Amino acid sequence: MTVPFLQIRGIRKEYGAVTAVDDVTLNVEKGEFLTFLGPSGSGKSTTLYILAGFENPTSGDILLEGKTLLQTPSHKRNIGMVFQRYTLFPHLSVGENIAFPLRVRRLPKAEIDEKVRRMLKLVRLEGYEDRMPAKMSGGQQQRVALARALAYDPPVLLMDEPLSALDKKLREEIQYEIRRIHQETSVTILYVTHDQEEALRLSDRIAVFSRGVIDQTGTGPELYANPATRFVAQFIGDSDFLKGVVAATSGGLADIHLGDETVVTGVPVHGKATAGGNAAVMLRPERINLSRTAGTDRAGIAATVNDITFLGNNTHVATVTSANEALSVRLPFGDTAINGLTTGEKVWITWDPATTHAFCD
Amino acid sequence: MSVMTSTTSFAPELRQRRRPSGFAYIAPALLLIALFFIVPIASLLLRSVLEPTPGLSNYAELFGSWTYVRIFANTFLVSALVTLLSVIIGFPVAWLLAIIPNRWGSVLFAIILLSMWTNLLARTYAWMVLLQRTGVINKTLINLGLIDQPLVMVNNLTGVTIGMTYIMLPFIILPLRGVIKDIEPGILQAAALCGATKWQCLWGVLIPLALPGIASGALMVFVMSLGYFVTPALLGGTANMMVAEMIAQFVQSLVNWGMGGAAALVLLVVTLLLYAIQLRLFGVGRIGQEGQ
Repeated sequence: MTVPFLQIRGIRKEYGAVTAVDDVTLNVEKGEFLTFLGPSGSGKSTTLYILAGFENPTSGDILLEGKTLLQTPSHKRNIGMVFQRYTLFPHLSVGENIAFPLRVRRLPKAEIDEKVRRMLKLVRLEGYEDRMPAKMSGGQQQRVALARALAYDPPVLLMDEPLSALDKKLREEIQYEIRRIHQETSVTILYVTHDQEEALRLSDRIAVFSRGVIDQTGTGPELYANPATRFVAQFIGDSDFLKGVVAATSGGLADIHLGDETVVTGVPVHGKATAGGNAAVMLRPERINLSRTAGTDRAGIAATVNDITFLGNNTHVATVTSANEALSVRLPFGDTAINGLTTGEKVWITWDPATTHAFCD
Repeated sequence: MSVMTSTTSFAPELRQRRRPSGFAYIAPALLLIALFFIVPIASLLLRSVLEPTPGLSNYAELFGSWTYVRIFANTFLVSALVTLLSVIIGFPVAWLLAIIPNRWGSVLFAIILLSMWTNLLARTYAWMVLLQRTGVINKTLINLGLIDQPLVMVNNLTGVTIGMTYIMLPFIILPLRGVIKDIEPGILQAAALCGATKWQCLWGVLIPLALPGIASGALMVFVMSLGYFVTPALLGGTANMMVAEMIAQFVQSLVNWGMGGAAALVLLVVTLLLYAIQLRLFGVGRIGQEGQ
């Protein structure tokens, strides 16, 4: 087997008594777009800063093409980075900003000019060479920052929430640009964000960070369909959780009591499941059905309709179970179950147990 | 650079629109300024061309005499040296103040302010004691075997330069600290990742971004040094007079208001010229925006 392109091996970072990053291990393929997704303080940015060389890990190692990076100072790592805040050099024009990394490498002038032109074309800012950064919009500045970070052909590009300062419309536009640029340059990108939609839109793979550890790494559909932890299930997509008690387990599946009367059988279970232990059953609003009458063929639970919101292509029905737990149902437009439904009505909610997950502490 | 001209042509319009009404309310303040600032300066300048006889005789004497020209030369030399040393010493201190954690920063800040608030005479006499032939500095250097004879550091321009640099340092550190603090730290991290060595970060990014602060601090120190009296009078010898001392002598000992006024006007013209140059290079309130 060949050596993975970029290896993050057991990285830990402690600040006094606080552990910001706790044993993070990850392999990144060449040309991959991998996103660190997690809430603030989950260790994703710290990991990125360790890769950039701005922080030293307490322990662990980082290897690029089999060679450790830790002994190399930032300016010799040859890594590109786009920051959250605007970091263009305000005293230099756009062209000079992009030329900066080439100039410190003492490349010949003709080569620099050629490269600056190519980079401006790549980020679609031809003709902006002489513009000062202060005279550009936030989106344009981040595109220049991207051009500057790619100008020296770094093997790895780090992006630390580069779009968080932009408004939604602009963000989507630049997400598209980033995807295109990734495809055109095939540079390996490590991207940090707390926005799950952004992560899903951009990434080949996503590493979900929570409290300094990676809970799960996988493609968007993998994480959505098979979350390994309750945190991942909550963080990616909408989900509701019902409290239950494990009745029996066998081979990764469990039978779970929901309330007094319902037993759901054959639910994929995560964590330490023991009979009699507590479990949280995750339900995705769009994967459950709603009917007026109780059926026996599928797992189900009784609930009361609380609110009905028509959202165009789907209708959101908020219900409350008899155990007073909120449960959302998303019905596609045209679903007949919605006809004549009123708030306060008793309904029966069913689902396929194989599509749900149970999490035990 | 069409960009820059558009800002400058736009700015006065904005300012004009915001000019407050109610001129009458500030009239007393304006009167006070006129009475105590403009009238004395005008009368001093008038005396320089009217006394003892109308004409430019005072200026002719000032520029015609080797003694006076040498005093001006001394003053500019010392002021330039003091400014240069203040920038060289003050820049790293301002940088440190801008980046160290707040707790240590406020201690360092307090030390600088405290030295500024201590009586000027006390500080100058302290330097006299330190710099004299049998002072701590000379004794230490001799004991270390670095010199055989004590260095002569008082009653000459060396002493004046050392003493004045010390006094001027806060005036460059404080404004510079503000300018450096406003520099986004990510900019330097970006520069490092771009491959810039520490040296390239300093000269290619940090200093250009701090340049407006360096320039305004340096101008302030230079102008203050030009007219400084106490330190040159105490640490300098009679042989190495500076302009402020000369003006004091004209007015106090010789009661020659004409010559005193002429010397003062020369300093004023130089100051205004330097200020004009700075405005031209850095503009008003454009710090951190476009730099050059």
